[in-house]
This record gives sequence, structure tokens and C-alpha cells, in this order.
Amino acid sequence: MVPTSFYIFLAALLFTIGAVAVLVRRNTLIIYMAVELMLNSANLAFVAFARQFGDISGQLFVFFVITIAAAEVAVGLALIVTIFHTKHSVDIDAMHELKG
Amino acid sequence: MTVPVTWQDVAALLPEFFLVVWASALLLLDVFWIREKRTTAWLSALGFVVALVLAVGQMGRAPLLAFRGMVIADAFSVFLVALFALSGLVGILLAQDYLARNGIERGEFYVLLMFSVVGMMLMARVADLVMIFLALELFSLPLYVMTGFARPRADSEEAALKYFLLGAFASGFMAFGIALVYGATSTTSLPHMVDVIQAGEADLALLTAGAALVLTGLGFKIATVPFHMWTPDVYHGAPSPVSGFMAATAKMAGFAALLRLFVLVFPVVADLTPVLWALAALSMVLGNVAAIAQRNIKRLLAYSSIAHAGYMLSAAVAFADPHLGPQAVAAILFYLVAYVLATFGAWGVVILLERRIGQEGLLLEDYAGLSRQYPGLAAAMAVFMLSFIGVPPTLGFFGKFYLFRVVLDAGFVGLALIGVLTSLVSAYYYLRVVMLMYMKPGEPIVRREPRVQATVLAAAALTLFLGLTAASSLYAWATEAILRFG
Amino acid sequence: MVAYWIFALVSLLMVLAALVAVTNRNLVRATMGLVLVLFGNAVLFVLLEAYFLAVAQVIIYIGAIAILIVFAIMLTRHVGDAWGPAFHRAWAWAVVVAGGLAVGLLFWIAHWPAADGKAKSPVDPQYTKLLGKALVAPDGYVIPFEVASALLLAALIGAIYVAWGGRRVKGPYPQRSEEKEA
Repeated sequence: MVPTSFYIFLAALLFTIGAVAVLVRRNTLIIYMAVELMLNSANLAFVAFARQFGDISGQLFVFFVITIAAAEVAVGLALIVTIFHTKHSVDIDAMHELKG
Repeated sequence: MTVPVTWQDVAALLPEFFLVVWASALLLLDVFWIREKRTTAWLSALGFVVALVLAVGQMGRAPLLAFRGMVIADAFSVFLVALFALSGLVGILLAQDYLARNGIERGEFYVLLMFSVVGMMLMARVADLVMIFLALELFSLPLYVMTGFARPRADSEEAALKYFLLGAFASGFMAFGIALVYGATSTTSLPHMVDVIQAGEADLALLTAGAALVLTGLGFKIATVPFHMWTPDVYHGAPSPVSGFMAATAKMAGFAALLRLFVLVFPVVADLTPVLWALAALSMVLGNVAAIAQRNIKRLLAYSSIAHAGYMLSAAVAFADPHLGPQAVAAILFYLVAYVLATFGAWGVVILLERRIGQEGLLLEDYAGLSRQYPGLAAAMAVFMLSFIGVPPTLGFFGKFYLFRVVLDAGFVGLALIGVLTSLVSAYYYLRVVMLMYMKPGEPIVRREPRVQATVLAAAALTLFLGLTAASSLYAWATEAILRFG
Repeated sequence: MVAYWIFALVSLLMVLAALVAVTNRNLVRATMGLVLVLFGNAVLFVLLEAYFLAVAQVIIYIGAIAILIVFAIMLTRHVGDAWGPAFHRAWAWAVVVAGGLAVGLLFWIAHWPAADGKAKSPVDPQYTKLLGKALVAPDGYVIPFEVASALLLAALIGAIYVAWGGRRVKGPYPQRSEEKEA
């Protein structure tokens, strides 16, 4: 059996890669993918803990994370595609309508 | 063995059930039968009235964990659910004329608003980490769409995209944080978690890390510094009624979950107290200082909402103290009522003065001379500004009084001092609005929209009247809204 | 022992793929990196004896979400080519912040004694049945399940409105406001 801590290490690493990418990348699609990476790392951690505790509530949580990811992807990609029609760009730095 | 659902379980969630059914029915009615969008608006307003009645009917009952401990109906949640139902109603009153005059009135708006309110209500009810995550998304996703409702206007779309990306980022933090909390306590049920923590079986290091990540996720929702970057742009770009609705309710929902988690479950992670301290102090300072430089009223209110999140968070710093926890909850609930009233009112005034969507009538100069032509409206706006500053006898004064008292009792003198000083700073930009309305000549153009005007005047009357006569009884009521698990 | 090797291989691949997903300037390649990570996650789910979730992961994440992302890339096509600097101006600052986050997380987990890897009980052979029952049982997850369905409905309405709703609105945006004004 691979120890749970290995899985959590991996999950933390993936989470960090995702979080860094959200902060540094400019393409909104990549930013969104990085968010998916973060959610996935959470799923991995949930399943690893669930196995350690012999408890299914962690696995059930993953179901809901997957559901939410699906709901988010629908709204998010609709927004990205729509803004592309308006601005012909999906670059976050092209978003400069709102300045104070 | 499965236990059948009892009437008690259903009764605990009655306002939410009703709203979901009503919203779904309205969705169909809107597509197939309703010709006038106005009818949809009235029907959804009616739905909120019924939900409010149902929520009030829950008051005074014993706390009840329903559906195997997924949700709870305690005094705290009932207080907030009633407030959310009322906010939904106000949200529709503010939005309807605005949407119609800008040609974006669609039945979906009201349905989305209802779903969003259901999510917020559930945020107040959570007794399981699954519910926190789902409720957070249920209220956020409709808000992203409502922010972009003025599509294909570029500013509205851009605000929606920014809000969405930052919101999704925040839910990533929430998910991973919850995973770590689950790993630390081996359960997602909050009452069980309390037992595990009290038995000393929880892994504190992991719990602290998880709590910090959850705090980050919620910090985005309540817009505290340094998770506030989206706020000015989103409030600026969103249609004004949506900004007002968000400013009032999303913050309430975030605080509902934050208080339940930190006061009830996480007092053991007292290590996070300095973190909360810093978040509160930074929000008060940066929110108020940045607001000074704003010329656009929407951005000004956005920064001011960041500052108010800081004030409320400063009372939450006392979460780890078992004696002060309930007091902090009462003070924050009280402040939320004051903040929500003034926020809805001020945004109502913004809606009345906004001429073309997102373009004219949004600068501070456009408020010049308001008192001559519309003395009632100007007086109402002045009341909201004074309440935001915390000038007696408005409700905002009592709100700050109770907040800072908790902060002082907890021994955070420095934080209370920062709070008072930044309130003084905030007087500068709030009073500038008042001064423009009363001292400068001008020809402001105001819309005659009776529903919005009535809402604004009612909010002003309540802010003043409750402050003058009923502040202490309202506080007593908030004190009874104790967080419990059964 | 085999499990260790699989874990080592898959995790290495996942980290590399994740790096590709977030650094590659070609969007399609980045998506393929993401798909690889998602697939690696499914493999690890199998290793963790969460068989049903592994299947769900492949079907929903790779089958639906990744495909939707590919669609979005195609719909915003000429952005797929490299264009302008790939990184935000403040990237160095963000790396410092995130590096701190990484060190903190890893430190916490490294000092975590409980992870000895001993599963408390073996996985129930009927676990898929248990999952299914728990999802819809009134004393289980029926409320989260219903909330999730409301969430999906709201997302559906929202996505339709955003992607389609206003197409009928033609011309300069605020049309009706002009008439009502004055």
C-alpha cells in the first residue's frame, strides 16, 4: 500500500502548480484549466483520505466536486466564448474596460 | 437501514424547498405562458414574500439537525434566512425597472436570483462540509451570470469573466481546504468534527492548514484584502442592481459560513487569530484609503464594501474565545443588518441616477444639487452615508459600537484603534457625497421609478428609525441568534 | 511493491503533464497535458480502490469537461496560436507568493504523523452499491444531491443565457433607454 502522505504530497504539488498558473498566466482558458487542476488535486486528496479512514464520505464529496466542475465549465466557457465575440481576445490583459 | 424523511426534516428547510420549487415552476411559466416579463418579476417577488413568512414561522423553534445532520435550523440560520428572503425581495424591486429600461429584462434573471438566494440561505444552514461547498457554488454561479447580464456590453461581460475566474479560483481553495480538514478530522459532518476535535483526535497541523485555505476561499466571497482585487471591477461592470444585491447578500452568505465554521468548529485553530487580525486591519485600511481616490460612485461603494468586510472581520478575530464567540456573532449579525440596509439604499440611489447603463450619471459630480430637486432622495442618501461612517443615531453607529466593544473585550486594542481611525478617514469620502448633494449647484437627472424610490426611502427610514428607537432590542434579538448544533 | 512503481510513474507523469498544461503556449497541447493529469488521477483512484470514481473521472472529466475546453479553444481559434507574452507582468511576485504557499503546505504535510498508510478497514466489496444508496438515501446525501441538481439547472440556464440569450438584441446596446429618457 502506498502511504496516504505520498498522495497528499502529490495533491499539494498539483494544487500549487494550479494556483501559480492562475496567478501568472494571461490566457483565460489556461487559467480555467489551472483551476480544474486545483479541483482535481482536491479530489485526489479526498479519495486518499477516504481510503485511509475506510469511509465513503470522502468519495461522495468527490462526486459533488465533479458535478460542480461540470456546472462551472458550462458557465465559464460560455462566458469566455462570448467575450471572445466582443473583444476578439481571451487575454486577461485585454480586459481593460473597467478602470477606476 | 434507511430512515424515512420526516415532516420535521422537511420543515427545517421549508423556505428553501419552496423557493426551489417556485423558481423551477416560474422558469417553465416564463417560457410557455407569461407574456409580460413584469408578471415574472411580481411572481418571484411573491415567492420571496412567502419564503419570508415561512422563515419567520421557523423562529423560536428548538434547533434541529435535519437530513442526517446535513443542514441545521437554529436561531442563527433562521435569522439569516429571513434576512436573505427580504434581500431577494429588495433585489427584485431594485432590478425590475432597471432591467426593463435597459432592454435586458428576461425571466431568467429572476429565476437565477431565486436560485442564488437559495444558495445563500443554505450557506447559513450548513452542518456538513459538502453543503458549504455546494451552497457556495449555488449562490455564486447565478451571480456570475447576473453580473454578465448586460451582455453583449463589454464592461458587463468583462466583469462577469473576472468574477467567474476569481470565484472558481476561490472554490479551488475551498475544495482543497475542505479536503485537508476532512483529512485532519476523518469526517465532513460539522457536529462530528466538533466531537473529534474535543476528543483531541484531530490532527491540528493539518486542520490549521485546511482552515487557512477555507478562510482564503471565503475571503474571496466576502472581499477582504488581499482577496479583494475583483471587487471594484465587478461592482463597476455589473448592472447596478446586481452590484447592490451582491454587495449586500454575498457578503452575508460568506460571513454566515465563516462564523459557523470558525466560532463553532475551529476555535481550536487559535493559531489563525493573527491571520484574521491582519486580514481585518488590511481591509479596513486599504478599503477606506482606496475609496478616497474614486470618482465613480460604483467603485467608491465597492471599496467601501471591502472596508466594511474588514470591520466585520475584526469582530470575528475573537472567534477562538469561547466566551466572546457568541458576542462576536451577535455584533456581526447586527452590523450586517445595518450594512445591508444602507447598501441596498445607496445602490438604489445609484440606480435612480444612472442614465445610460454603465455610462452616465455614475460620477460623484452627477450628485451635485440633488438636495434642491429631490430633497427626499438626497436626505436618504445622506442617511446611508452617515450610517456607513457610523454617526449616531443611525443604525451604523450602533453596529460599529457593538463591533468595537467585542474587539476591545477580546483585548485587540490596536485593531479597535485602526477601526476607529479608518472610520474617521472614511468620513472624508462619504461626506464628500453629502457635500456635493447639498452644497454644490447642479442639475441631476433622476428617474421616477416608484418601486426603487419606495425601497430607498424605506431603507433610510429603517436605518434612522431602528437606530433611534430599537437598536438595543435588535441587538438583543441578534444575541439570541446563537449558533448551535442541536 | 508494484503499487509503489505505478504510483511513482503516474505521479511523475502527472506533475510533468501539469507543468505542460500550465506553461505551454499552444492551447491544444496544454489541454492534452490537462487530460493526462485527469487520466493520471483516474489511475490513482484505481490504486486507491475507488473504482467507480475512476470511471466517473474518465467519463465526466475527460469525456465532457476536457472536450468542452477543446470546443472553447476551437471557438476562440486564432488565439490558439502563440500571441504576445505568455506571462502576466507581475509573474515574479506571484511565483514568490505561490512558492511560499508550496513550502508551507509541504512543510505541514511532512510533519504529519498520522499518514502511516494503514487503511482502517478493507474496502467493502459492495462499495459501489453503498455509494449509490448513500447518494439518494434520505439519511444520506439526498439534500446535497438535490442541491447539486438545482445547481446544474441554474448553470444550464445561465450558460444558455450567456451564450445565446442576447443574440436577438441588435444594434447599439441601450436601445429602449433613449426613448424613455428626457
